[in-house]
Amino acid sequence: MTRTRKPGLSRRSTLALMGAGAATFAAPWVARADSKKLMIGMQSILSGPIALLGTSSRNALLMEQDRINAAGGFLGRQIEFVFRDSKGQPQEAARLARELVNTNGCELLVDAEASSGAFAVQEVVRSLGVPCIHTNSETSSLTADPKIRAPTAFRVARQGVHDAVAGSIYLSGYANTNKINKWATCAPDYAYGRDTTAQYLEFFKKFKPDIEIVTEAWPKLGQPDFTEVITKLIQAKPQALFTLLYAGDLSAFVNQGNIYALFAQMKVATPNVDYPVLAAIKNLPAGIQSATRYLETFPDTPANKAFGEAYLKRWKERPTNWSWQNTVAMQFYEAAIKKANSLDGKALAAALTGLKINTPFGVDGTITMRDDHTTINYAIGWGQTTPKPPFIVDVKPSDWGKIIEYETEWKKQQKYI
Amino acid sequence: MSKHPAWRDTIIAVVVLIIVLVIPLLHRSPAFEDFIIRLSAMALFATSLNLLVGNTGMVSFGHGMFYGFGAYAFALTMQMTELSLPVAAVIAVVATAFAALCVGAICVRLSTEYFAFITLAVQMLFYSIIISWQSLTGGDQGLRGGIPRREFFGFELESQLHLYQFCAIVGVLGLLALRHISVSPFGQTLRMIRDNEDRASFLGIVLWRARLSAFTIAGAFAGLGGVLAALFVSGAYPEFADWPNSGQAIFAVMLGGIHSFLGPVVGGMILLALNDLVTRYTEYHGLILGIVILIFAVGLRRGVLDFIKLIRLGRAR
Repeated sequence: MTRTRKPGLSRRSTLALMGAGAATFAAPWVARADSKKLMIGMQSILSGPIALLGTSSRNALLMEQDRINAAGGFLGRQIEFVFRDSKGQPQEAARLARELVNTNGCELLVDAEASSGAFAVQEVVRSLGVPCIHTNSETSSLTADPKIRAPTAFRVARQGVHDAVAGSIYLSGYANTNKINKWATCAPDYAYGRDTTAQYLEFFKKFKPDIEIVTEAWPKLGQPDFTEVITKLIQAKPQALFTLLYAGDLSAFVNQGNIYALFAQMKVATPNVDYPVLAAIKNLPAGIQSATRYLETFPDTPANKAFGEAYLKRWKERPTNWSWQNTVAMQFYEAAIKKANSLDGKALAAALTGLKINTPFGVDGTITMRDDHTTINYAIGWGQTTPKPPFIVDVKPSDWGKIIEYETEWKKQQKYI
Repeated sequence: MSKHPAWRDTIIAVVVLIIVLVIPLLHRSPAFEDFIIRLSAMALFATSLNLLVGNTGMVSFGHGMFYGFGAYAFALTMQMTELSLPVAAVIAVVATAFAALCVGAICVRLSTEYFAFITLAVQMLFYSIIISWQSLTGGDQGLRGGIPRREFFGFELESQLHLYQFCAIVGVLGLLALRHISVSPFGQTLRMIRDNEDRASFLGIVLWRARLSAFTIAGAFAGLGGVLAALFVSGAYPEFADWPNSGQAIFAVMLGGIHSFLGPVVGGMILLALNDLVTRYTEYHGLILGIVILIFAVGLRRGVLDFIKLIRLGRAR
């Protein structure tokens, strides 16, 4: 008897396809059942133009993973990170947070998303009750607004309102010394740029009421050509420029500004200089007033320098602000788990609240997790750029007493307290 | 064809719904439950688009705006009022239908290419409004603060199981409603317009009215999908209403099959599963997704269900 091959899918191939599909979908569940390791979920932007946010966070976390495992892990269990890319989409961030907990069996979360993703993750954390530390969102309301704050979610990151107070105090002193009244602003045209500029100006005017804003420029995020912005700024003839451009936008702006001799025509101040930005600038002008997001020489301690050197040695690039924040998040988890002797969300939340840890990134060698789930006492300083390492010199540490005083006033204004 | 196709469809829907509802009672898998919740939203979104693309021949590039509209309308209603969840959902769907009616009134008389362009343009306008109207929508950070999950009929949507059950019921009932619309005389009219609009016109059908009705209905169901998406992420984000999201629905329709009612559902499943699997292993998810779509487009030259249908037809002959 001869058999003819019928066209299309055979029963056997259909079964094989179904089997392969089932195996693929079952893999994560099998992996979960198999594992005794303590899985920690980390999600961030790991692809696209701001992938540095995620990659420099991931690098720091991998260093922490090695350090913690060498010291015996958490509660005797070795830790392992599961990294996921949200592509910067909030709905994907929410999905990933659920997947990390529900599918990958992660018992702790490190949310290294930018702000919009962090707010989405916050709601998932609220409903799942899993411990989570946000490491990169700088938007103050994430933890300041009691309606948004979640019981098991904390933030280990610099905060917009802290930076605004510290920067305004420094810049008002600088403006008084140099008799600068006419300012221009330039910030990316989205919520961060507009809100944070407004917040800086609000505090700035409090400390120096006679300032005048002669022009404002709002380039698009990721804009390749800043010619129109630069010419607009030069034509307005301000005495100084305050800019919130960051990452690739800031280095592109400085490189293009050099062509128009912008830095010879006005003083410039920015809180957003980071090592990768410095590396991308061809000729860093001296004398830009700059905050320190992360600097090996501030705080000028052996521990801080050792962190910077170890990071450079392992990853062949210098750490970012996001790197230290993720490192400190793991230091907080380590201390809180030891204190609570548990991984339970409520127990860890109780242990984290008010916890003070020793860390190289604190202004006095310590950072505290306040009872509103956010960190204080991290290193904030302002200095001025110089073309060669250490790139920012004459760094003056900000006064945390003043920062907290004005932050409290701001929180009252917002009706958060 | 069955004597009573409406009953057959209803029975299939009820059986599927029972199976989906029974699964978590036998074995709890939060990952599976999350998948079904997202699939419910995606299925309504993509199938409603196919009512336009597959049934009526109207290729809309801006369908995401209604998905986003539904999500924002629902989330804002829940945040700003004390209304119960089903009432807020109905308000969101009605508001989205009205928005679709207004947009459709401008778009449906245009020829295919200009219709596609103008839907994209209106979507971009709507997206810009979401970004700019920060006091209402939260701008590019999205609508924060969570969605209050007020209990109704014993459903407490804070619970993952209840959210799963709610989304499964809404998803299946929504698809059943779309199925009835699709096979109704109105659905047949839409297909006639797609195949030969002159003939339909000669038969006395007012083309713009039928198209506008289809556009409004499709918008309303996309809005319902947006409601489920908002519940899943506990908020509403501008990305819901952005053009890449419209692209997702178009991909789902193309991958699953444009001429099969369940094609967009299958396409949605493939897209979601691909996204979930690929992002676990690589950051080059766009590359993998592009290759898969290329394989479908160049290899099968049609969606999965259309391909299977073709094979079955070949066998029958």
